[in-house]
Amino acid sequence: MFFRLYKYSLLQSTRDRLALFWNLIFPIVLGSLFQAAFGNYMEKEILFQQIPVAYVAEGEADGNFTELLKILEEENEMVTVEEVGRKEAEKLLQKGDVQGIYYNGEPQKEDGDKGQVSLVVAEQGIEQTILQSVLEQYGQNKSTLLQIAAKNPAGLPEALALLEDKQAFVKEGNIMDAPTNNMMDYFYSLIAMNCLMGALIGLTAAVEFKADLTPLAARRVVASTSRFGVLLPDLAAKITMQFFYIMFTIAYLSFALKVPLGERWAFILLTAMVGSMLGVILGFFIGVVGRSQQGIKEGICIVIMLGSSFFSGLMVGGMPRLIETYVPVFNHINPATLITKALYSLNMYGNLAQYAQSMGKMGLLILTLGIGAFLLVRRERYASI
Amino acid sequence: MQVFNAFFKVLNKNKGQLVLYVVIYLSITLLMGNMAQDNEEQVFSGVSLDIGVENEDQGMLGEALVEYLNGSHNLRGIPDNKEKLQDAMYYGEMDYVLEIPKDFSEKFKNEEREGLLEGTIVPGSNSAYLIENEIEGFLKTAAMYLSAGFGMEEAVSRTAEDMEQEGHVEFLEGDDGNLPAGYYFFQYIPYVFITMMILGVGVVVKTFQNKDLSDRNKCSAMPFLKQNLQILLGCFSYMAAVYVIFMLMIGCCMAGYLFTIQGFLSAVNAFLFAVCALSFSWFTAQLAKNVAILNAISNVFGLGFSFLGGVFVPLEVMGDQAKKMAKYVPSYWYVIANHDIQKVAGLSDAGDVYQSFLMVLVFAFAFLALGLVVNRMKIRGR
Repeated sequence: MFFRLYKYSLLQSTRDRLALFWNLIFPIVLGSLFQAAFGNYMEKEILFQQIPVAYVAEGEADGNFTELLKILEEENEMVTVEEVGRKEAEKLLQKGDVQGIYYNGEPQKEDGDKGQVSLVVAEQGIEQTILQSVLEQYGQNKSTLLQIAAKNPAGLPEALALLEDKQAFVKEGNIMDAPTNNMMDYFYSLIAMNCLMGALIGLTAAVEFKADLTPLAARRVVASTSRFGVLLPDLAAKITMQFFYIMFTIAYLSFALKVPLGERWAFILLTAMVGSMLGVILGFFIGVVGRSQQGIKEGICIVIMLGSSFFSGLMVGGMPRLIETYVPVFNHINPATLITKALYSLNMYGNLAQYAQSMGKMGLLILTLGIGAFLLVRRERYASI
Repeated sequence: MQVFNAFFKVLNKNKGQLVLYVVIYLSITLLMGNMAQDNEEQVFSGVSLDIGVENEDQGMLGEALVEYLNGSHNLRGIPDNKEKLQDAMYYGEMDYVLEIPKDFSEKFKNEEREGLLEGTIVPGSNSAYLIENEIEGFLKTAAMYLSAGFGMEEAVSRTAEDMEQEGHVEFLEGDDGNLPAGYYFFQYIPYVFITMMILGVGVVVKTFQNKDLSDRNKCSAMPFLKQNLQILLGCFSYMAAVYVIFMLMIGCCMAGYLFTIQGFLSAVNAFLFAVCALSFSWFTAQLAKNVAILNAISNVFGLGFSFLGGVFVPLEVMGDQAKKMAKYVPSYWYVIANHDIQKVAGLSDAGDVYQSFLMVLVFAFAFLALGLVVNRMKIRGR
C-alpha cells in the first residue's frame, strides 16, 4: 500500500514541468552564472600574482633601483617589469595593463624632485600598496646604509651582507588547508535556496490533502483508507524527489563547475536530505494553515523562500555575518542560514560540533513544523465544503 | 483607443510584481552607492589591513614592530578560539595574525632569527604577501644595525626612524580611481529594465495572443493594423513610463549628476538599453507558451544578462572565458559605456561611448528581427 502510493506520487512529481525547471534548470543556470562571475575572484583578487609594472628611466636615473627591480622580477617573482617610454607607460596604466609606473630620474610632474624614484598608480588597492612598500623599502635601506656609513663605517660590510641575505623571519602557519573566501557563501546559499524550493512541492501535497482546498483532495478524503496512510507516502515521495534535485545541483556544482564544497560527502548528503525535509515540511505547514487560495499560498512560499535565502547571503555576500551582529536570534531560526551554516561548518572546521548544532536546529524546526501541521490536520472533519 | 486602454488594464493587474522590482533596484543601488562613498580618498595612502597581534615579547623589538605596523594598519586582538579566527579570516575581517614570542628580542639579538615569528595567513593571499614584506623589511633593517655593531636600543630607535621614509606615490593625472555615485545609479539599470520589460510587456502581449481572445479580436470591426499599432503604442508608452520613473528617481537622489555631460550620456545610454530590453521582451513573449514560463525566462535572462554583462560583479574580476562570452550580451556594452562615460570630458571625445551605444542598438534590432521570424513561423504553423 505504502509503496504503491509512494511510486505513483514519485511518477506524478516527475511530470510537474515547472517544478522541474525551478529545481533543476534554475539552480544550474544561477550556479553557472555565479561561477562565471566569481569563479576567478579568488585568483584575481585574493591570491598573490606577480604585479605588472611599467618602468620609466630617464635623465639621471638611479642605477641601484634598476638593479633592485631586476632582482624583484627574477629572484623574488614579485613584479613583472616593462621598460617603456613615458607616453606608453601612461597608456598602459590607463588601460589597466600595469598596476603602476615607477619613474626614475625625471619626476612625473613638473614640481617633483629630480633624481628621485616615484610611483604613479591609478587606484588604491593591495597591489598598489605592495608597489609602494617596495619603493619605501628602497628608500629605507638607502637611509640605513647611509646612517651606518656615517656612524659606524666598520660595520658596513656586515650590514651589506645581511641585505643580500635571504632569511625569513616569519614562519607561516595556515589556519585553512586551502585558500577560501566568502564568495563560497553564494554557492552554499544557492543549495539552501534549492532545498527551500521544496516548499512549493510540500504545498502541493497539502493542497491535495485538504478537502476544502481542491476537488482532488475531497475525492481522496472520502476513500476508506486511513488519512495518514495516504499522506505519508505522498510526503515521503516529495522529499525523495527534492533530495534528488538537490543531489543533482550539488553534483553539478562540484563536478562540472569544480566548486570546492569539501570532501565530507556523507555529511553533505545528510545535509541535503535534512534540507529537503525542511523545505517540504515548511511548504506543507503553510498549505494546511488557513483556507487561502493556492495562488496566495504559493506567493507566501516564494516570499519565504527568497527572503530566507536573501538573509543567508544569496544576493549580498556576508549577510549572515551582518545579521549576527544585529539580530543574532534570526540566524538560529532562518532555515536557509541554517543550511548554509551547516555546509560552511563542514567545509571550514575540523570538528563537527558547529555542524551538529546547525543540524540539530534544523531538526527542531522540522519537528515543530511537523507537529504543528499534524495538530492542524488530525481528525479534521468537513460538515460541508 | 480601446486596445491601448485594454493594454494598461492588463498591466494594472500585474503592478505588484513590477513595484517589487523598483524596490529591489532602489535597495541595491542605495546599498552599493553608500558602500562606495565610504572609501573616497584623494591622496594615496595605501591599503590598511586588519592584523591580529599578540605580543608577548619582553624586550623592546616586539613593541617597536607592533608600533610600526600600527602606523599603517589596524591592529586588534586575536579571537579566543580557532573557529572564531577562521570565521574572521573567511569573511575578510582579519587579514593576518602575528604572534610574537616571549623571548623574541633576546633570540633576535643572538642571531637565532630564522622563523622566529609566527604568522597565520590565508594561504597565498596578496594581503599576507604585503604584510610579510613589511615585517621582513623592518626586521632586516634592525638586523643590519645590530650586525653593524649598534646596541639594541639604538638599533631599534634608528630602525623606527628609517621606517618613516615615505615613498612618493601619486595618482595618474585626471584619474583618481573613484567613480561618482551617479555611476552606481545607472549600473544596475539593465537588470531591472530587462525583468520589468519582460514581466510588463510580455504578460500583456501573452494575453493578447491568447488563442480565443485573438480569434475574437480578429472578427472585430477594427482593422488588424490599427489593433497592432495600438498594442505597439502601448509597449512604447510603458517603456517610456518606466524610463521616466527611473530618471525621476535618479534625478531626485542625484540632481547634480543628471545635468552634467556624464549624466546626459548616462540617460541616453539607459534609454537605448530600455529600447533593447523592450525588443528583447517582445522576442521572449513570442517564445513563451504561458505566463509561468515567461516568469522563468525573465529570471533566467534578467540575472543571466546581468551576471555575464558585469552588472553585479565588475568585469575585471571575471575570468577571460567569461569575458569573451560577455561580448554577446547587450548589458556588457551598456556597462562598458557606463564606465567609459565617467572619463568623458566633452560630447566630441566620446567615441568609445557612441560605439557601445551602437552595439546596444544592434542587439535591439537583432531581437526584433528574431521575434518577427518566430512570430511568422508560428502564424504559418497554425
